[in-house]
Amino acid sequence: MGFKIMPKSALVDWVNHLRAGYRVVGPQPRHGQYVFAEINDPADLALDYPTSVLPPKQYLLPPREVLFNFQNSGMRIEANIKVEPTVILGVHTCDMHAIRLLDHVHNNGYADQHYQTHRANTYLVSIECLKPCMEHSFCKSMGTLTVPEEFDLHLTDLGTAYTVDIGSEKGEKLLEGFDQVWEASDDDYQLLSRVLTEKWPRFSYRLDFDVTELPDILNLSQKSGYWNELGDRCLACGMCTKVCPTCYCFDVSDNVDLTLKNGQRVRTWDSCQVEEFALVAGGHNFRSKRALRQRHRFLRKGKYQYEAFGMVGCVGCGRCAQACLVHITPVETFNELYRRSQRTEPAEVKA
Amino acid sequence: MAKPKIAFFEFTSCEGCQLTVVDSLQDHPELLDAVDIVQFREAMSEKGEDYQIAFIEGSCSRPGDEAKLMEIREKADLVIALGACAHLGGVNAIRNRMPLEDVRKYVYGDKAEWYATYPARPISAVIPIDAVIPGCPIDRNEFIRAVTYLLQGRLPYIPDNPVCIDCKLKGNVCVYQRGMTCLGPITLAGCDAICPTYGEGCDGCRGLISAPNIPALRTVLAEHGMNETDIEAKMTVFLTYQRMELEAAGHDS
Repeated sequence: MGFKIMPKSALVDWVNHLRAGYRVVGPQPRHGQYVFAEINDPADLALDYPTSVLPPKQYLLPPREVLFNFQNSGMRIEANIKVEPTVILGVHTCDMHAIRLLDHVHNNGYADQHYQTHRANTYLVSIECLKPCMEHSFCKSMGTLTVPEEFDLHLTDLGTAYTVDIGSEKGEKLLEGFDQVWEASDDDYQLLSRVLTEKWPRFSYRLDFDVTELPDILNLSQKSGYWNELGDRCLACGMCTKVCPTCYCFDVSDNVDLTLKNGQRVRTWDSCQVEEFALVAGGHNFRSKRALRQRHRFLRKGKYQYEAFGMVGCVGCGRCAQACLVHITPVETFNELYRRSQRTEPAEVKA
Repeated sequence: MAKPKIAFFEFTSCEGCQLTVVDSLQDHPELLDAVDIVQFREAMSEKGEDYQIAFIEGSCSRPGDEAKLMEIREKADLVIALGACAHLGGVNAIRNRMPLEDVRKYVYGDKAEWYATYPARPISAVIPIDAVIPGCPIDRNEFIRAVTYLLQGRLPYIPDNPVCIDCKLKGNVCVYQRGMTCLGPITLAGCDAICPTYGEGCDGCRGLISAPNIPALRTVLAEHGMNETDIEAKMTVFLTYQRMELEAAGHDS
């Protein structure tokens, strides 16, 4: 299938066209940053946003979600799966890789019906990243600077127009009945080719090693003193996990009303960084120290998930680094662990 | 099952938490069907002395408060501290680091000797308590949740999370990135991060999480332009009593 062209001047009309049939969400400015939120006025849409506070995972895995309603009398349970066809505009390629990982997790083993329903009703319109979005991103090092195949439509900014790559039938549906889009010409292809070629030198490799070495580096660093240094700094505020596009841990609670007759089972985003996360029955906490929790976080991203899914759990978006008040960043952590792993080798040879 | 009889009491406080209880009836009028309120000076004239659950607002700030607290403890099966004053000593405990004579003179002028006040304490310093509903004022939804727990025969449970968890669940832009400062990283969540949501940094009214990294937060506050005096002031408003306890135990505060 060939590329289409949509002039930028048609964007507002297209968003309005979509809003007739879908909930349309996208990046919008808020207090000097950007958040994904429902677009009520297409003028608010900022497709050239740097990054967002929360990743778009909030539409696939809502921060707080009622799983089912129950009535104690008669033990009645009624599933609660909210179906709301949603178009997410402007998903960066790192976040697309994150959704790929979330798909894998929620479609395999115990398939998650709520996630699957949201996912089936979500239309992903990704956008090519043409320059680094902020100081903390390191997508080029993580191999997430090109879009994976999960997109429905993929946009590339050519200056006065977007190329539109159609990735699925769902993507085709988003263009149905909209007439301000046409086949790309040879000139458009040439321009696209130039834009895509020129973007790569703008991004730098920020890891001092190849990402395929990451699981080994982390494996060798399990007893590193660096974790204690991080633990001393860490506030255990959990923001790193909340803003992470691949974190999906949740807690579940049953909440009844004052009559004690009706209730809801609710799941809420949880965080491995908070005190009670690894607290188990009997009162034992197997990660009671902040250092252990930070180690768990980085090993999970860089080693455990790679071993389990063949995908590194960090996509290099840089949100955790931006959110962290004490400047714990994955780039510095991974590089420092790499440097220390290099340093110990000569010492061991000497001994 | 008979409805539990509950009573409300106040010590040194503004009674705003009890007003929040009244306020919670707007959303949850069924509360009146679930419990039997026998004493609630803020809302009714009747005064029953037969109760199972006592909600106590206010700190203990006078020697004369102690006997009444013990009497309530004696009569009630469960005692719940209602709000920051009962839970933490509240803003009343700011004075605990100051000479008491000066404080009395500042507040009561030439009548200072009439008032036998002493350092403000949470009620748990005087009597054993069964649970707390934190906040200044309490969160009305949390109050309803707590009552629901009690009706189920459980003690109210509040996850040991910092406010940042609630704040990020709401997708808020961090107030630090808006040029403000915030005690959210060391403060117990459960308030739905109401202050940051409305553009104000957290002042810590719900008290500390169980393992706060206070030295690290001091560094953060300094990086965001606060000097030592301002940092100390910010951590004094609601956290004085808890921090003095940490100091007495040899911990960072």
